[in-house]
Amino acid sequence: MESPLHHFELHPIVHLSVGGLDISINKAIIAMWVGLALVFALFMMVAGKGRQLVPGKLQSVLEIAMEFIQGMVDEFIGKEEGKKYFSFIASLFIFILTCNLIGLIPGSYTITSQIAVTGAFAVGIFIMTLVIGFAKHGGHFLTILIPPGIPKVMVPIMIPIEIISMLARPLSLSVRLFANMTAGHTVLAVLFGLAMSASIWIGWMPFGFTVVINGLEIAIAFIQAYIFTTLTCVYIGDVINLH
Amino acid sequence: MSESNDFRQGLGIAFRLGTEMTVATLLGAGMGYGVDHFFATKPWGIVAGVIFGGAAGMLNVFRVAQVMTKELEEERDQNNTSSKDQDGKS
Repeated sequence: MESPLHHFELHPIVHLSVGGLDISINKAIIAMWVGLALVFALFMMVAGKGRQLVPGKLQSVLEIAMEFIQGMVDEFIGKEEGKKYFSFIASLFIFILTCNLIGLIPGSYTITSQIAVTGAFAVGIFIMTLVIGFAKHGGHFLTILIPPGIPKVMVPIMIPIEIISMLARPLSLSVRLFANMTAGHTVLAVLFGLAMSASIWIGWMPFGFTVVINGLEIAIAFIQAYIFTTLTCVYIGDVINLH
Repeated sequence: MSESNDFRQGLGIAFRLGTEMTVATLLGAGMGYGVDHFFATKPWGIVAGVIFGGAAGMLNVFRVAQVMTKELEEERDQNNTSSKDQDGKS
């Protein structure tokens, strides 16, 4: 029987290397391209037709999604400041959600179950918050390491604690998404392995569970995309407002 | 709509708090281990790292919880005022 972690393994389909750098194309990359194409096509289908005053089905769905993200950005970053970051946050949410959902189609690949992908997102966001902070506040930005209203004696203790809690942000951001997706798909793989190895008299039971858990995974795909983007908003809001 | 919103926020917080503390503690321990490795201060780097990391984790969780209680209190105030309004009308 196959190991439940077998489907996370990646094997190159097309071998490519540029200057000693291995850029072979594997399942994950293809899944990511499909995700990108899907998001692009979805929005172009609406934008290309021209926005209607009375929205059609697809336009309503996308408008609701955008309003939802707008609410999130307004709440955590602020109405005025948030405008600059809205397109970034919206792309992030839609792309992660699409990646999570693509992974639920049997036979495809969950890109967000690779810590390299979630880590790249999280580190990118972390560097972005640092750049925004320094651009907005200059050297004054470093006071984010000293919480307001603490006695002077505590400052040397608080600075390392604050540095660790700052550095923990990208780590927890990436680990949360990666771990939730990996765990969910491992559970699915274990149950499906049980269904396949048992006889039909008992095998229908784990198979039924895979169907139920697939439904749960759809909810988790939404929730994880939501949490990832909310926390991005919170982090950007933190460096803009400084306490 | 507001009910599903509450549910989503609750789940968001539940997923957040769990990882927040573990990750900060592990990161502190890792940084302490690195200090030990490069400055030959075994075992004090990792000891200090775990303590600082744990403190950072606590701080993160505390901050999330603070936001949470603030939201709850605001909600309670709103409910109180709205119920008072209803009383005044009736």
